[in-house]
Amino acid sequence: MKDINELIKKQRVYFDGGTGTVLQGMGLPAGRSPELWNIEQPDKITALHKAYLVAGCNIIKTNTFGINREKFTNYRELISAGIACAREAVKGRENAFVAFDMGPTGRLLEPLGDLSFEEAVSIYADNVKAAAGCGADLVLVETMNDSLETKAAVLAVKENCELPVFVTNVYDASGKLMTGADPAAMIAMLEALGADAIGMNCSLGPDKMLGIIGQFSRYSSTPIIVNPNAGLPEVRDGKTVFTVNAEEFSGQMVELAKSGATVLGGCCGTTPEYIRKMIEKTKDLPYSCPDEKDITMVSSYTHAVVIADDPVLIGERINPTGKSRLKEALRSGDLNYILNEAIKQAEAGAHILDVNVGLPEIDETEMMLRCVTSIQAVTDLPLQIDSTSADTLSAAVRAYNGKPLINSVNGTEKSLDAVLPIVQKYGGGLIALTIDEKGIPDNAADRVRIAEKIISRAAEYGIKKKDIIVDPLALTVSSNPESAVVTLESVRRLRALGVKTSLGISNISFGLPQRELVTSTFYANALSCGLNCAIMNPFSTAMMSTFYAYRALSCLDAGCADYINYASALISAPAVQQNTAQGRQTSIAVNDLRTSIIKGMKDAAAGFSEELLKNTAPLDVINEHIVPALNEIGEAFEKKKAYLPQLLMSAEAASAAFEQVKKRIPADKTDKSKAIVLATVMGDIHDIGKNIVKVLMESYGFTVYDLGRDVPPERIVECALEHNCKLVGLSALMTTTVPAMADTIALLNKTDRSIKTMVGGAVLNQEYADMIGADFYGADAMDSVRYAESFYSGG
Amino acid sequence: MINRDVRIITAGSDDVEIDGNELALRLHTSRGYTSPQIEECKKRLLSVIRYKCACIRTPVELSEENVCDFGFMRIPSSKLYKNLAGCSEAYVMALTTGISVDRLLARLNIVSQAEHFITDALSSAAAESFCDYVCGILTQDVYCVPRFSPGFGDLSITFQRPLLERLDAANSLGITLNSAYLMTPVKSITAIMGIKGNR
Repeated sequence: MKDINELIKKQRVYFDGGTGTVLQGMGLPAGRSPELWNIEQPDKITALHKAYLVAGCNIIKTNTFGINREKFTNYRELISAGIACAREAVKGRENAFVAFDMGPTGRLLEPLGDLSFEEAVSIYADNVKAAAGCGADLVLVETMNDSLETKAAVLAVKENCELPVFVTNVYDASGKLMTGADPAAMIAMLEALGADAIGMNCSLGPDKMLGIIGQFSRYSSTPIIVNPNAGLPEVRDGKTVFTVNAEEFSGQMVELAKSGATVLGGCCGTTPEYIRKMIEKTKDLPYSCPDEKDITMVSSYTHAVVIADDPVLIGERINPTGKSRLKEALRSGDLNYILNEAIKQAEAGAHILDVNVGLPEIDETEMMLRCVTSIQAVTDLPLQIDSTSADTLSAAVRAYNGKPLINSVNGTEKSLDAVLPIVQKYGGGLIALTIDEKGIPDNAADRVRIAEKIISRAAEYGIKKKDIIVDPLALTVSSNPESAVVTLESVRRLRALGVKTSLGISNISFGLPQRELVTSTFYANALSCGLNCAIMNPFSTAMMSTFYAYRALSCLDAGCADYINYASALISAPAVQQNTAQGRQTSIAVNDLRTSIIKGMKDAAAGFSEELLKNTAPLDVINEHIVPALNEIGEAFEKKKAYLPQLLMSAEAASAAFEQVKKRIPADKTDKSKAIVLATVMGDIHDIGKNIVKVLMESYGFTVYDLGRDVPPERIVECALEHNCKLVGLSALMTTTVPAMADTIALLNKTDRSIKTMVGGAVLNQEYADMIGADFYGADAMDSVRYAESFYSGG
Repeated sequence: MINRDVRIITAGSDDVEIDGNELALRLHTSRGYTSPQIEECKKRLLSVIRYKCACIRTPVELSEENVCDFGFMRIPSSKLYKNLAGCSEAYVMALTTGISVDRLLARLNIVSQAEHFITDALSSAAAESFCDYVCGILTQDVYCVPRFSPGFGDLSITFQRPLLERLDAANSLGITLNSAYLMTPVKSITAIMGIKGNR
């Protein structure tokens, strides 16, 4: 028996075709799991495998696609029987391989679904352990719709057996996975994880896959698998048929082979006849394995970012160094602030986001995991995981959905020994700092020497030079006049050696006045020396202007289109940049704070508030402008002259105005006496109603402790006691969760009877509220605000 | 694996008109009410929405009182039994607006509760409207009774699981269930629609 990994590099290898659809044709009832036949009808399964082998294929997929511990209690037995059927079929055949087949779990991973990453790894790991020793020659992870689940499956294989792992994903007509990844993103992640062959299967017919194969040939250094359907099933004359016949299928597979596919086979609707014809037509075509691509890529769950001549911006704002508001958010676990920073940087044009949550008083690994998972739910940018702790890096890189940048390793033995094994296992682009046991060299030659040492040591771990991005370190020019010159020379030399580079740009100007001037000029110089990535502030107009101007001047911006768009926005919306009243919503006529709040215009409200505060006391802005405007729209809503969307937009505009006021009030003078704890009760995941109340409460100046949804009673009590908050608002949408609301009220009453509860939600009414012991029932959000106001005014 | 008898129906965002009544109900406005913010939210939603439906036409046996037997699932429900009276076949379907809508809602939940509320209402109305669109296609040749969904009346929400498994909805639509039988993507619908006879 040859090694399958050796074989796929030398010649075209063939998978078999459809299993489930063929078994349905053999009498398997629709809706019945094909895998049950491994035990009930093993002869038929073996006969199917043999038919494919006779047709000429090299790899047969075991009939185990849908098996896992969640679906079948006897999963071990089904797996073992499935592999036995396949082994029986390949007995005595040369170059015939058994692929242990694993499909999706059928559950969606967090953060959008409820399956944790480690639980997914564990489900696949149990499959792999059950298959171990049963005689599979490789593992095929196939028909995967989601990049993170794919990663979980591949890790489970890597951690539990020595077999080669092949991976195919399902791309739809838009050329993406159902959860959004394009081929480049999947190639980046799967090559980083060490998959032995990658590609696509199911969903589309071969003609549609022709539109995607180009991306595989362009980016993949790994053999490319293509296992299409025989088109999609269609109902014709009352019968379901697949739209592509064997003749058409084989003809289109020729085109796919010519376009770079190296491992060919079929999926749903294909039969031994399809495979026989495909092999007949493709076996004599010239063969070449994909060559090694010198492309540096990192990826998110949707797309890859290529690090090459076009400069890459890495947003630096999620790093607590020198940022008191972020430190406060990290200490209090205020993820919303952090997520907002992520979203704003993405909107400002960052390509990658640096995430550093290192503070001595928090559990860095736990916070990093929360941030990485949550940020990936709200932006699709790749992340740069930034920590000095190898444990934190390891945990975050493992759970990350895609191929991250890892920040960082340096030239010390301690760092190399700690970080390189992480990159070897999970893959990633690696930021390498030119510092070693002797410190940071004062000259370019020695910095380059350290870079070369890191690259050489990384190679021992199988980490490629293309995946190492060297940071030759920008040091403060005010304390060392030569530092910029040395750094720029290092960038130039590294570029000449074909090494990618990155710099934390902002450091250069530390301690100088008008820092942006120095920073952006240094950035322009570094770009001219060949810098690839800059860790920078994407909110800085000077830096972004340099970025766009450089691209236009360097033939990287066709027709200067990006520059023109950027410059036009800069000219048309300078007020937004300065956050003044002439914001981007000025197309609607507003001329004061009241109107901007009533019209629901956030930017304008913030701007007018800022203007007013120049000559008006903060409390007067609240009492004479913000609250009257809110009351006006609130009354209109109560009289049904305004609708809920208007009320909410106004509340947000008022909050934006209120934020400006808060900036003028010292932190220790902030009035926290008007506070409320809000939560959707345990078991209920609907939070729209609760969020509406939150927005209104905040717009009226209340401090809101928002515990989110599905909150246990104990957590609510704990929060109320912690903040000495005497008002708790509870929300429930489902009748099944009203008992949880009653439990929460009972616990609150038992703990501290002076705490008042107000309740609301679609299933509640006054009668229900009375029955469960609530102090107040709010029919709508304004009702709740009125009650809270009267509660705190002693009414 | 695609079950041979599962029919896939897709639609572009322009093919489905968001029903005004459905939207007004969810926005708590009068029918036809709109604003620049609502229009902006609608435009953004439609740029990410991906309508997709999987359905089968299957026999239904009503021989036992208050039990509806579809072969692959046997549902005790007096309401559904009454709804299907006189039907020997039914369409069983699942449909979704796609996972990108969930991602958009997650982002808006951080950025703006007002836009989150509006977009949530728009996407719920869009899912209902797509369901109407699908039913329009399915009833071109047959008469059907009004559709009925798990979680409605005494039809237990737990039947989401066999229904979605039969349609292979995880693979064909990306619809998965959590432990409380709620679907992801969140703007997804499952339904049973009895067939009365040919037109």
